[in-house]
Amino acid sequence: MSLTPEQRGKLTLVTGVIGADTHIVGNRILSMALEKEGYKVVALGALTPAEDFIKAAIETAADAILVSSLYGQGELDCRGFRDMCIEAGLEDITLYVGGNLVVGKQSWNDVEARYREMGFNRAFPPGTRTPDVVDMLDQDLKGRAGGAAA
Amino acid sequence: MAGHPQLDPDGLPFSADRIPDDIFDEMRARNLARWPTGAEIDLDEAAAYHLAMPKHKQLGWVMRRADEEGRCLTQPRGGFGTLELQKELMTCLDKDGHADIVPTTTDSYTRNEQWENAANGIEESKKAGRSMLNGYPMVNYGPKVTRQLVEAIDKPAIVLSGTSMPRLTSEVGFAAGYSGYLGSGLAYTASYTKEVTIEQGIRNYQYLDRLAARYQDLGVELHRRQPGFLTGTNIPPSIAILTCIIDALLAAGQGVKNYGLELGQTLHLVQDAAAIRMARELTQEYLQRLGHDDIFTPVTSLHWMGAWPYDDAQCEALVAYGGTLAAIGGAVSVTTKSSHEAFGIPTPEANAAGLRTTRMAVYLARHIRLDDMPEFKTECNMIAREVRPVMDKILEMGDGDVAIGTIRACEAGVMDIPWSPSNHMKSRVMPARDADGYLRIFDCGEMPIPKDVMDYHHDKLRERAARDNLPFDHELAVSSVYELSENLETLIPFPWAAE
Repeated sequence: MSLTPEQRGKLTLVTGVIGADTHIVGNRILSMALEKEGYKVVALGALTPAEDFIKAAIETAADAILVSSLYGQGELDCRGFRDMCIEAGLEDITLYVGGNLVVGKQSWNDVEARYREMGFNRAFPPGTRTPDVVDMLDQDLKGRAGGAAA
Repeated sequence: MAGHPQLDPDGLPFSADRIPDDIFDEMRARNLARWPTGAEIDLDEAAAYHLAMPKHKQLGWVMRRADEEGRCLTQPRGGFGTLELQKELMTCLDKDGHADIVPTTTDSYTRNEQWENAANGIEESKKAGRSMLNGYPMVNYGPKVTRQLVEAIDKPAIVLSGTSMPRLTSEVGFAAGYSGYLGSGLAYTASYTKEVTIEQGIRNYQYLDRLAARYQDLGVELHRRQPGFLTGTNIPPSIAILTCIIDALLAAGQGVKNYGLELGQTLHLVQDAAAIRMARELTQEYLQRLGHDDIFTPVTSLHWMGAWPYDDAQCEALVAYGGTLAAIGGAVSVTTKSSHEAFGIPTPEANAAGLRTTRMAVYLARHIRLDDMPEFKTECNMIAREVRPVMDKILEMGDGDVAIGTIRACEAGVMDIPWSPSNHMKSRVMPARDADGYLRIFDCGEMPIPKDVMDYHHDKLRERAARDNLPFDHELAVSSVYELSENLETLIPFPWAAE
């Protein structure tokens, strides 16, 4: 069940590419698409330290953080991300991660399990298209959007 | 965490001028003191090490020979987090992949001068028994240990380090016996950083180029190379070539003599051949105009740098076709990818297979040239008509100084690149693919491209919009980003089956 653009307008998402990673294109297209669908998007861009995601989420009272990583070192960069959120008082924030999340071609089930264990609510494999992300966000955030889902 | 001290020397105004010797010595001393392995570096000893290597392991010499003999050399990318894994990789690429040039890609912490994070990555990799870093942490290992890698292969070695902060990595790489080094001030700063100013990036690469020139003074001709692939996302040839010219002029200013130009493939045979031809011609035109008449500028063609498909078979077609494009275009070398590209960093075996596929394609296509084809001539002419007005404007904005002109041009958007992560680029220019498969410019932003040339681009893109039933807007550019990663059912269906 999808949300209306008005409902989405009450939801704030923080996006960015984590760590020393400069792959901006997919993240920028995702951010543009989410905005077009009605979400409020705070786009931090490439080369964003984990702390900056959390700082931005606090400042904007964000509902979800969407972390991109394309260069393989995401596993090191994302370690402790959920704990940092909890320490910062963001116990309930929804965390997504997506991209090429490990070095090399590994079984997606293993990779997904690894990131779920790290505290991410969902992990998305390489090649995920924006409508799929919107569907998941609508589903996961409908409780926060207020009013009945359309 | 190591910071990013911008070691702009005192009293040295920003310009394209050669850095004076005494100031460069001071810059080097400060640079080498930033990490313990810097103390291992002795320039005279390192130059003697290079001179003692056989010619066929010296990339400056190998690139010149390949050009003379009309060869298209193959080179992959590749880096892992420990010395042992990296040695296995390089040996495999040399022996099983028949690579003509063997690479060492550094990890992203090293590229961003976060050497403490890189040290942690080495430990984590050892613990996990697999590479947790996306490259080889060259500064942490230092030149003495890293020479083991150069000695493990029988080909020239090149450092690949996508960064705007190459000062210490280049010192270590050259001292370790690497005779090639990829990277440049404008291209990498505009495509690999967010906050570093173009000015800082150019200054950092002036340091690297000045260092290469020091080796030249000692009798060692290193191969420097410019990464014109930029953000790797649908870069029209004219924009790549503009960065080639600017970075080549900056390098020549520091005394570099052997300077390669890289171009990402558009995947259109005619456009790629025209781009390869015009990159060299136009770069030489501007080098000579500014008084540099002895710079060797071979062109390297790069396998598709955008998003790749997830199907091995589709990837293999891109790999083979990429070898074909490079050979027909007359590139002196081709940089390869593999069937693992969509998933990130390939295994040594997949990487070696990509090399062999490419090598066979180069062999098959090696005698074909498009010189007399009208479409080829038209594209060459269009590229020149896009490049010259912008390049002339950049030089004018700098009152003849290309470094200053570049800063001002980037600020004003006169020089621009698509999809840049940098806060210092306008990134208003927007490319898209036309109905015939050429990359065109949908929106040139503030770039002074003549109106009739832009009309030509727009006409071609309108044809595509009409064919695909798309509005003539930015969506054309966005859909072009993912096109090549789509599956075959989408790209080329069998549309006549029963409903």
